[in-house]
Amino acid sequence: MKQRKSGFSMFRISFLSVAFLAFLGLTAGNAFALTNDDCLGCHGDVVDETVFKSTVHGGNGCVSCHKEAAAAKDEHTLPLTPVNCGGCHEKVAAVHAKSAHGKAIKGGDQQAPRCYDCHSKHAIFRPTDKRSTTYPLNIPATCGRCHQEGSPMTTSHHLNKKNITDNYTMSIHGKALYREGLIVTATCSSCHTNHDVQKASVPSSSVNRNNIIATCTKCHAGIGEKFMKSVHSPLVTKTDKKLPVCNDCHSDHTISQVDKKDFRLIIARQCGNCHGHYSETYLETYHGRASMLKGGEKLAKCSDCHGAHDIMPANSPESRINKANIVKTCSKCHAKANDSFATYLPHATHSKADKARYPYLFYTFWAMTGLLIGTFAFFGLHTLLWLPRSFKERFKASKEKK
Amino acid sequence: MTRTSKLYVERFTPYQRFLHLLIIVSFLTLALTGMALKFAMEGWAQQVADFAGGFAVLGSLHRFCAVITFLYFSLTLKLLVKMWKDSGKTLLGFILDPEGLVPNLNDAKEMAATFKWFFGGPRPHYGHWTYWEKFDFMAVFWGIAVIGSTGVALWFPEQFSMVFPGYWLNIATIIHSDEALLAAGFIFTIHFYNTHLRPEKFPLDPVIFVGSITVDELKHERPREYEQLVASGELEKLATKRAPEAWQLRSATIFGLSMVSIGSCIIIAIIISMARYIMRH
Repeated sequence: MKQRKSGFSMFRISFLSVAFLAFLGLTAGNAFALTNDDCLGCHGDVVDETVFKSTVHGGNGCVSCHKEAAAAKDEHTLPLTPVNCGGCHEKVAAVHAKSAHGKAIKGGDQQAPRCYDCHSKHAIFRPTDKRSTTYPLNIPATCGRCHQEGSPMTTSHHLNKKNITDNYTMSIHGKALYREGLIVTATCSSCHTNHDVQKASVPSSSVNRNNIIATCTKCHAGIGEKFMKSVHSPLVTKTDKKLPVCNDCHSDHTISQVDKKDFRLIIARQCGNCHGHYSETYLETYHGRASMLKGGEKLAKCSDCHGAHDIMPANSPESRINKANIVKTCSKCHAKANDSFATYLPHATHSKADKARYPYLFYTFWAMTGLLIGTFAFFGLHTLLWLPRSFKERFKASKEKK
Repeated sequence: MTRTSKLYVERFTPYQRFLHLLIIVSFLTLALTGMALKFAMEGWAQQVADFAGGFAVLGSLHRFCAVITFLYFSLTLKLLVKMWKDSGKTLLGFILDPEGLVPNLNDAKEMAATFKWFFGGPRPHYGHWTYWEKFDFMAVFWGIAVIGSTGVALWFPEQFSMVFPGYWLNIATIIHSDEALLAAGFIFTIHFYNTHLRPEKFPLDPVIFVGSITVDELKHERPREYEQLVASGELEKLATKRAPEAWQLRSATIFGLSMVSIGSCIIIAIIISMARYIMRH
């Protein structure tokens, strides 16, 4: 083994020189760098050091975000430009810049949310941390700071949807979050995304008509499968007319539990938005009429006979109202339903529009109406003619008494 | 001359008055609960349902009163059979009795005479039953047959459809609903006017509650009956000195006016609701 020489060999000298120069070079920019202690000397009242140290940025120096302040020896110039998170969070910043929020910032909207409006400034925690403003339980409040009636934003901006967080809180998703404590339920960002928030009218928006099904079925995967096989699916029905997407029936922020009164009472209206004639005729029959009275949620609604996500055309053997299945469908409520019972017409009316299909209803109605008109016409006339006679009789009687 | 010194004739027996009481209570309840369903889109109907505790309660009340209706229908039939037996006539003779409840040729003549009276002719000599009273009775009779049979069909739709086609339930709904409009409309306007609200009787004729009228009234209103009773000598037998007690008259007035008021409110609600329905369509 070769023995080491003492003293400075050329190699060692050159190595140390390089290392020293490298050290100088690396630290050159920070020759007069501020430490966090320097900053907290003045800003101790703004930032709680112990909290800051536990945040995701706890290991960072103040000046790694507040870059302009780095050059200051003593007091830095004012004002500092807002922190640019995009320096490190490049991809997210690019997404945000293209979002409705980002575009508003670009457009000079002073109130448009920047990173720290949602994430806070010095208390940024992971979304899984309960202290985070983006922890599921805290998201509605975070978004609600702007998107709830009474906020400065709602007075200065025209926001299409009103009372969003209040409605959300009363919705099935909100109840799951707040009442049941389920953090897997949908919060604002589950549907609207976190950084790529777009107006529903924007084609790429997660809540655009064309993307709603994909957005909802991220969680409601089983429903998505059923729905895509149903008559309402764009894969099944080729039409120029609008096919329904999730929120057409379920609404958005007010979405409620489908077996609860709130939802059952609006089903006929929701279906009626497209199937107006059927909704109207339903409301003319016993099921629909009684539905309007207290306790009416119990009566058959569109989906009780037709199904919901798996509605099939009536001629499909899988349809609930197909001849093969209709008795079974009726017997959900009418235990003794039979083939003849199922010929009851749950949408038929005596209207002129239905005359060709159901003449016996049309003529029954008009025969009855004729009877009514005849009876009231005769006795109405009888009464009218009687009235002056009757007055005379009364005067005569009262005179006789005197 | 004081009330008590007058002679009174019994027109309705206590049993007949009881039957009419059953009709009043059940008919008003049937009309209110049924019309609340027929006009369920109206605010008043929803308030009725809220007050009752829901549509299911209205349905139960409706069916309960339907049972009362069938009860008084059969009791009336039984009463008619008894009256027939007591009369000692043949069945045909009883049905065609000129003074019975079935309209006959004389009623047609009397109706024509009445129209003449409206235009200044002499007042017809009415008998025990006038033609409009006969119509009231017969209308309820066939009304119950129509509304009762369709009502039972709608009450037991599964059983009904075992015998008849299921779509007949649609027809039954129309008939039941329109016959109800006819019945409620007729009772709450024509019957109320003919019997209680016409100026000679206004605001109430308490005879259906207290049972008797004075011989003077009988002589004036039903001269033919009066003459018949005088001729047969039955008047002395029938006329008792007992006048209805003051409390009887007072309760009859309070109860009767309440029922007439409720009926009037229902018919006003029906008319407004129908007008709104027609305007929407």
